[in-house]
Amino acid sequence: MGIAEQLNTYLTLSGALFAVGTFGFLARRNAISMLMSIELMLNAVNLAIVAFGAFIPDLQGDGAVIALMVMAVAAAEATVGLAIVIAIFRNRKTPLVDEYDAMRR
Amino acid sequence: MRAWLYLAAAAIAGGIVTTPALVVLILLKGTFEDALVASLATLLLAAGIAVVTMRDIIRCGLAMIVCFLALAGLYVTLGAALVAAAQVIVYIGAISVLILFAIMLTQDKVGSNRLTFQTQAAPAAIAAIIVAVLVAVAVAGTNWGAASAAVRIATNDLAHLLFDRYVLAFEAVSVLLLAAVIGGVFLAKREKDATG
Repeated sequence: MGIAEQLNTYLTLSGALFAVGTFGFLARRNAISMLMSIELMLNAVNLAIVAFGAFIPDLQGDGAVIALMVMAVAAAEATVGLAIVIAIFRNRKTPLVDEYDAMRR
Repeated sequence: MRAWLYLAAAAIAGGIVTTPALVVLILLKGTFEDALVASLATLLLAAGIAVVTMRDIIRCGLAMIVCFLALAGLYVTLGAALVAAAQVIVYIGAISVLILFAIMLTQDKVGSNRLTFQTQAAPAAIAAIIVAVLVAVAVAGTNWGAASAAVRIATNDLAHLLFDRYVLAFEAVSVLLLAAVIGGVFLAKREKDATG
């Protein structure tokens, strides 16, 4: 059976992309890079949802609808997240998250 | 000299994308659809790794667009054409542009010259590898009761589902988007007395 006809292919790929996003979120210093990593993780989950919707007969259609909902919520998250980053940048003049230490002092 | 460098980079990128397709076609005797999926998957992971490792953040944003495009291609091979179209419009058309604008608004000259990663990059890499291995093991060890081929979803059925069974979620998402837009404008707005 070819790799395009197996659910496991898409789920493993989704897990790998999620791991890449996890690494970016934990390791990057730039706040916008962290937001981009979150977008990668959301897209990985979306790939898993669409794959389930395509391969599981009971979920046919539902997967696509839920993926569309996830996209809308991700758009809302990106809006608010980037607005927060811009507001913090206006105060601290740096996009690097390890210099946001006002609450630690 | 610089043009040759770009040409070499383009050749390497093309090789990275086409090699898995050729491997699947010739060595594994797969179909053309298998080759397409292998190619798109490689492009997706390579662009994703480029997003989290590259130093220049504008290039990270552009690599993210490539990543989203490869994902849209995978949605098409999964038979969800409407989701692929929404992926192109929402992610490539809207969210990527929003992120590129935010990058241009927030980067200073000093920031890009300093360290890209935090000091915890090595533990973060280990954690990410553990996540990937755990997901792969769980996927391989579970019987999902899946059909043997992807089922194509008609857009008509999708619309019936969206506006009938999921209409409450649809309306809630519209309110959420409105709230997010108002919140984003409020947060990013410059205060009047601060600027004079």
